[in-house]
Amino acid sequence: MTNIIEAKSMTKKVALGKENELPILRDVNLEVKEGEFVSVMGPSGSGKSTLLYNISGMDRMTSGSVKFKGREIGSLKEEELAKVRLKTMGFIFQDINLLKNLSLIDNIMFPALVPTDADKHAVNQRAKKLMKMTGIEKLANHNITQGSGGQLQRVGICRALINDPDILFGDEPTGALDSQSTEEIMSILAQINKNGTTVMLVTHDVKVAAKTERILFMVDGDIVSQKKIGKFDAQQGDRKEREESIMKWLMENGF
Amino acid sequence: MFLKMVKNDFIRNKIVTMTVFLFITMAVILAASAIHNIANLIQGISSFQVSAVPADMTVMHAGEYDQAEIDQFTEQYRDHIAMQETMVLQNIDGSNIHFGQNQTMAGTIQDISFVVQNKHFDFIVDLDNEKLDVKEGFVAVPIYFMEQHDLEIGDTITVKSGWYEKAFVISDYARDFEMNSPLTSSKRFVINQDDYNEMLKMQAGELEYLIEFKLNETGDPAAVQTAYNEAGLPANGPILEGKIFAIFNSMSDMIVALVIIFISILLLVIASLCIRLTFLATIDEDIREIGVMKAMGISKKDIKKVYLNKYSVISAAAGIIGYLMSFAVVNLLNSNMRLYIASDLSGSLKYILSLIAPLLVYFMIVMYCKQVLKRIDKISAVEALRSDIMEGGKNRRYSFPLLQNKFFSTNMYMGLRDVGKRFKLYRLLLVIFIVCTFIVILPVNMYNTMNSPEFSSYMGIGKQDMRIDLRRTDSITEDFNKLQEELQNDSDIEKYAPYITSSYKVKNAEGTWDNMNIEIGDFSVFPLKFLEGRAPEGEGEISLSLAHAAKDGLNKKVGDEVTVRAGGEEQTLTVTGIYQDITNGGKTAKAHTSLGVNEEAVLWYIVSLDLAEGVDVRGKMDYYQNAYSTAQVNDIKEYTQQTLGNIIDQMGTVVIGGIAIAIIIAVLITALFLRMLLSKDMSQIAIMRSIGLTSKQISHQYMAGNLMVLLLGIILGVLAANFLGEILVSMAMSSMGAAKIKFVHIIWQTWLLCPLALMIAVGLTIFMSCRVAVKDDLSVVLRS
Repeated sequence: MTNIIEAKSMTKKVALGKENELPILRDVNLEVKEGEFVSVMGPSGSGKSTLLYNISGMDRMTSGSVKFKGREIGSLKEEELAKVRLKTMGFIFQDINLLKNLSLIDNIMFPALVPTDADKHAVNQRAKKLMKMTGIEKLANHNITQGSGGQLQRVGICRALINDPDILFGDEPTGALDSQSTEEIMSILAQINKNGTTVMLVTHDVKVAAKTERILFMVDGDIVSQKKIGKFDAQQGDRKEREESIMKWLMENGF
Repeated sequence: MFLKMVKNDFIRNKIVTMTVFLFITMAVILAASAIHNIANLIQGISSFQVSAVPADMTVMHAGEYDQAEIDQFTEQYRDHIAMQETMVLQNIDGSNIHFGQNQTMAGTIQDISFVVQNKHFDFIVDLDNEKLDVKEGFVAVPIYFMEQHDLEIGDTITVKSGWYEKAFVISDYARDFEMNSPLTSSKRFVINQDDYNEMLKMQAGELEYLIEFKLNETGDPAAVQTAYNEAGLPANGPILEGKIFAIFNSMSDMIVALVIIFISILLLVIASLCIRLTFLATIDEDIREIGVMKAMGISKKDIKKVYLNKYSVISAAAGIIGYLMSFAVVNLLNSNMRLYIASDLSGSLKYILSLIAPLLVYFMIVMYCKQVLKRIDKISAVEALRSDIMEGGKNRRYSFPLLQNKFFSTNMYMGLRDVGKRFKLYRLLLVIFIVCTFIVILPVNMYNTMNSPEFSSYMGIGKQDMRIDLRRTDSITEDFNKLQEELQNDSDIEKYAPYITSSYKVKNAEGTWDNMNIEIGDFSVFPLKFLEGRAPEGEGEISLSLAHAAKDGLNKKVGDEVTVRAGGEEQTLTVTGIYQDITNGGKTAKAHTSLGVNEEAVLWYIVSLDLAEGVDVRGKMDYYQNAYSTAQVNDIKEYTQQTLGNIIDQMGTVVIGGIAIAIIIAVLITALFLRMLLSKDMSQIAIMRSIGLTSKQISHQYMAGNLMVLLLGIILGVLAANFLGEILVSMAMSSMGAAKIKFVHIIWQTWLLCPLALMIAVGLTIFMSCRVAVKDDLSVVLRS
C-alpha cells in the first residue's frame, strides 16, 4: 500500500519573546499508509495536535518536509493548500468548530457548495445520507445551539466527510464527550475507515486508541515509539485485551 | 491603577480610540466655534446698533413729497416718536458709475443711491463703527460693492449722468446697518454735503425719500405704521420696521453657524455610533473576563467603570483641546462678520457661552456610554462564561438557508446573508452610508434646483427666456412704450408680455390699510405654477403669494375676497390662486389688467419674453441692454443668481464640502467597522479556512456583504435626499415664501456621479480592509 503521508525531519518552533524559540516538534519522521487508522497519544504538551495541524497544512512547519499523496505540503501556496484541504482532507475538532449562523445541514453542506460548479441537489442528497449514517437526520434544520455535544460532533464528522476526503484528521474528537457518545463516534469513524478513508486522530483515551490499528506515542515533540495492534473487529470481542496491551505499552514508555 | 487601565485599553485599541477622539474633538471644535460665532454676532450687532442708531420705522417714497405734513404727523404722535429725519437719496443707475478699466456697475439688481450722513440717527459708519465723515471729492462705498468689484480704498469711481460727471476717491468702506445685506435691494454711497449739493443741482439722479422715525422706548412701531398709512402720508414704496434690518444683517452668519452646529451634531452621532460599536465588540471579546469578574464578586458598577473610564478621559481631553482649538478655527468663519458687522470682536461673552459645547459633549458621551453599558447588567456570570449561548441562543426560525440561493455563488451568498443574519451589527454602517449619501445629494439637489430655469416658479414668475426690468426714471413710461413697440416688430421674439407693478393699499385682517405691491398683466402668456387655484384671468380677480395668503399675512384662501384701494377708489377682488414667491420678502400679488395701474405709485415695469427658435439669447440680451441703458436685461438664470445673491455660490462650496466630508466619514467608519468585524469574527474565519476556504474567498464574502450595505445605503440615501430633503427644504424655505419646493433632479449626478464617487472611495476601503491575514497559524486561533 502506498503512503498517503510522508513526513521527514519535520520541526515546528514558536517564538517566545523576541529572541527565544520554543521547539514544539523536533525532527519528526512519519509515514501513514492509505486506508490506515492511526492514533497519536502522549502527555499534554508533547506536540500531538501540533503534529496534526502541521501535517494538514493548517500550520506552517518551521523546517522539514511533509508529502501528502506525493505532493510537498510546505511548498504549496495558500490557495493550493486550501484546495487540498477542501477536496482531500477532513478535520474534526474537540471544540467542534461549527459556523454559528448556519443550520446543522448547511454547516455540513457548506464545504461542498463552495466550488461554483457544485451540484446542489447531489450535495444535499449526500449530506442527508451522511446525517442518516451518523443518526442525526432529524436535526437537519436545527441551529447549532440546539444539539448536544455528541450530536454536534457528528455534524462535524459529516462536514469533514462531505467532500469524500482521502484522509480524516481528528484532534481529540471525543475529548469533550461522555462514554456513550464516545462509543458511537468511534464506531462511525471505524465505519468510515472501513469504507477506505484514512483516519488519523489524537487522543488521550486508551479506549479510543484501542479502536485504531496503529498507535504513535509522542514525548517532547517527537514520536518515541509506536505500536501496531491491527484492525479492530467488534465481532472478535478482543477489546479488553487490546486496551490492556496498550496500557502496558504506555507504561513501558513512561506515560 | 485607574490611569494604567485607561492606558492599557488605549494601547489595545489604538486606531479606534484615536478615531473616536478625533470625532469628539472635531465636534467640540465646530460646536464651540459656532456658539462662539453666535456670541460674537450678538455682541457685534448690538455694538453696531449702538453706533449706527438705526431707524425703528422707514418709509420709502418716490415722487411728490411735503416735509411739513411729515413734521405735523411727528408732532401729533410725539408720545411714540422721538425723532424724525428724512434722507433724500439721489438714485444713480449702476451703468452710470464707472470704475477701473472701463468697468461699470451695470447689471446689478441693487438700487444705488448717493447720500449725505444723517444728523440725528441712522448713521452710516466706517469699519471701526465710527460715524462716517466724508471729505469733499471722496466717497464711502458700501461693503457689498467693495467686495463685488474688488474695490480698494484710494481707487476712483466716476459718476456720469447727463451733463454731470465727477470722479470720487474711495476713502472708506460704508457699513450701513439698514442696507448692509445683499438681501436688501438698495445700497447707499456716502459723499460730502458740497458734492451732494452739486449733484442735486445738476439733477444727476432720481430722487427718493427715506422718511425715517426713531421711536421712544415705549413707542409702538405697528401703531405708528397704521397711523401713518391712515393719514395718507407719502408712501409708495415699502414701509420697513427696524427689526428686519437686524435680521438681514445676522442672517447669513446665523445660517453658517447653524449649519456648523448641524455638522457637529452629525459628528457626535457618528462618534456615539463608533463608541457603541467599540463597546459591543470589546464586550463581546471580553465577555469571559466579565464573567470571571462577576463570578469573583466584583460589582457591576466597578466593571462598568473599567469601560467608562476610557471614554471619560477621551471626552474630557477632546473637550479641552476642542475648546482651545475653536479659538483658532473661529477666525476662519467670521471674516464676513468682521467686514459687515464689527471689526473688533473682543467681547467676553463668547468665552463663557462656547464652554457650553465641551461640557455638553462630555456629559452626552458619558451618559451615552452608561446607556450602552447597561448591557453588562444583563449578562449573568454563567452566561458570560458560556458565551456561545449569548450569540445564538434564540430559537428563531432558520432564515436564508444555503439551498435557497439561486443567483449567487454560495461564497458570495454567505456574505450577503450575513448582513441579514446580523443586521443589528450592519445597521450602523447602513445608517452611516445613508447619512453620507444624504449630505452629498441634498446640496447637489438644492444647487441644481437653484440653477435651473424651473426655479422661476419659486420667484413668482413663469418660465421664460429673458426678462427686461425697467426701474423708476423720468423716461420710464416712454421707454416702456417704446420697448413694447420694438418687441412687437422684432421677428426674433416669439412672444412677450408686459407687467406693471404698483403699490396699492390693502385692507388687512384688522380692518386697517397696509401697502401691497400688485403686478398687473396677462398671466396666461407665461403661465406660473400655482400651489392652489389658478392665475387671475378676468376682472375682479387677484392671486396672492404664499406669504400674503398665510395666517400672519392677510389670511386668505382661494375664493376669499380682498379689498384694495388706489387713488381713493376701493375695489373688491376675489382670490383665484396662491403661488410661491421668495422675491420682495415673499409678499407679492398679481391681478388682471382690469384692476388698472396706480399711476401715483408705479414701482417698476417688467417685460417677459421668449425668443424664436435658433435666436442667440446672449446677442439679443446685449442688443436690448444697449438700446435701453437704464433697463436690466437678464436671462432667468442670471436673474435667479442676482436675486439669490451669493447663496448659489455658497451652495456650490457646500456641495464640494459635503462630498469631501461624506467621503471622509464613510471611509473612516467603514475601515473602522471592518477592522472590528474581522477581529470579532476571527474564530469563524479560522473555521472557514480550516475547512478549505482561501483567504480570498473569505474576503469576498465580507466584500459582498458590505458592498450590498453600501448599495442599499446609497439608494436609501438618495431617496431620502430626494423626498425627505424636499420636505426639509420646503420647511426651511416656507418662511421665505416658498413652501413646496420640488427638486430639479439631474439624474446622472444624483444617481450616477455622486453615488459613484462614494462607491469608489468606500469600495476601495472595503477592498483594502477586508483582507484576511494568512500569516498566522490556524491552530492558534482555533485552539484559543
